[in-house]
Amino acid sequence: MRSLAIGATGMIAQQLNVETISNNIANSTTTGYKKQRAEFQDLLYQNFRRIGSTSSDAGTVVPTGVQVGAGVRVAAVARVLEQGNLNITDNKLDVAINGSGYFQVTLPSGDTSYTRAGNFKLSPEGVIVTADGYPIQPNITIPTDAVDIAINSSGEVMVKLDGQTATQNVGQIQLSTFANAAGLEATGDNLFLETGASGQAVTGNPGAPGFGRITQGALETSNVNVVQEITTLITAQRAYEMNSKVIKTTDEMMQQASQMK
Amino acid sequence: MENSIYVAMSRQMALQRQLDVTSNNIANMNTAGYKNQRMLFTEFVERPGLHEKVSFVQDRAVVRDLSNGAMTQTGNPLDLALTGQGYFTVDTASGPRYTRAGNFRLNDQRQIVDAGGLPVLANNGQPLVMPAGTSDVKVSGDGTVATELGPVGKLNIVTFKNEQLMTEVGNGLYVTDEQPEPAPVETKVAQGLLEGSNVKPVVEMTQMIEVQRQYMSAQRMMDNEHERIRTMIQRLGRSV
Repeated sequence: MRSLAIGATGMIAQQLNVETISNNIANSTTTGYKKQRAEFQDLLYQNFRRIGSTSSDAGTVVPTGVQVGAGVRVAAVARVLEQGNLNITDNKLDVAINGSGYFQVTLPSGDTSYTRAGNFKLSPEGVIVTADGYPIQPNITIPTDAVDIAINSSGEVMVKLDGQTATQNVGQIQLSTFANAAGLEATGDNLFLETGASGQAVTGNPGAPGFGRITQGALETSNVNVVQEITTLITAQRAYEMNSKVIKTTDEMMQQASQMK
Repeated sequence: MENSIYVAMSRQMALQRQLDVTSNNIANMNTAGYKNQRMLFTEFVERPGLHEKVSFVQDRAVVRDLSNGAMTQTGNPLDLALTGQGYFTVDTASGPRYTRAGNFRLNDQRQIVDAGGLPVLANNGQPLVMPAGTSDVKVSGDGTVATELGPVGKLNIVTFKNEQLMTEVGNGLYVTDEQPEPAPVETKVAQGLLEGSNVKPVVEMTQMIEVQRQYMSAQRMMDNEHERIRTMIQRLGRSV
């Protein structure tokens, strides 16, 4: 019976929905995390009586046909790129992007990765690195005798050296934007890789047209709205239950058919 | 004489298909833009003898409930919902297809595409391409898409004389031979919202229970009829 398989597609889809929601909730306090949402599509339809076929010798045309769908599938798990809130930390090396763009990070393999998590630190050599110790691109080295670091909204890094009054420019933070940022591949550790779907990275300075601005002393929180996630979770759970009910009903009907005398 | 068994069987077969339709509704209760479907039954009369008339049941049509689904806010600027009658147009290799699932996004060529990657068409028949270096997409109520550099185009929102004649092809898309007409002015595009499916889960659950009980009663009728024929043969056989 078809409904058995249809109920199964519903349960599989809702299971993936719950998995997506639980990953969002688990990352609700992850810096720079962008929530994901499962999107569903109906499957193919089978025509039992084609629309427009005739229903009598007189040529009467059936107004609508008999089409039975084959269930549901997950079309995509889309990333919602809404800006997260800015959380003030007052840490000199915490920077948040206000608007579109990604920091560029050099991986140990030499490849470039992209991130929105601006909780940077200094390496033993004074290089600005991510929480995992990967340097940002282009490399910015803070002199060891610097007493103050200031990063302005267009990404210029200025330091004040011990005993000096004037500040000194030591580097420029750059951002990358993508035609389709939702097409970036998440690799974990808050990092994303460029893909064929995202388009090539366009690099520019913060504050330039199309690029976000930089806020020093703040971190972009995840854009997960926990209340919204919980309500979606309840909807997903109920949908799962109803699909299992479909399977149970079909099973009972099949049982009756097999017990026919 | 065995007609009543066949009548009950025709009912059971129709009920099975009805359960298929109901379970497809339940499976798609969270699918954006999905329209609830309902099976229509008709009587199918046959005259096996001169004075006899046997009426079977037949599933005649599946009709769609065209009412609007509930709107949910998503926070994605390219999630578009239609408030009122109408369909978005997407381009496929085999001609235009129509959809109410407005979960759109940009592809790597900065075209607005649907969840399946098909380009969404503007009213000039061309895909909508967001100029490079723009990040702010605004869609106004009449379907005009604009960025910070100015308008890009207007979404092709159409409607049809008889929407029931549209055929589902899966992935939330419909195809029809009818000529598209411009959607009524009351139809507005809402940005950042998605139209959910209009499946009412409670109605579908009760429908499913009803189907199951009717299937059982048809079954009982077949069993009784079987019993009746068997007793008849036994009694008549004894009298010989």
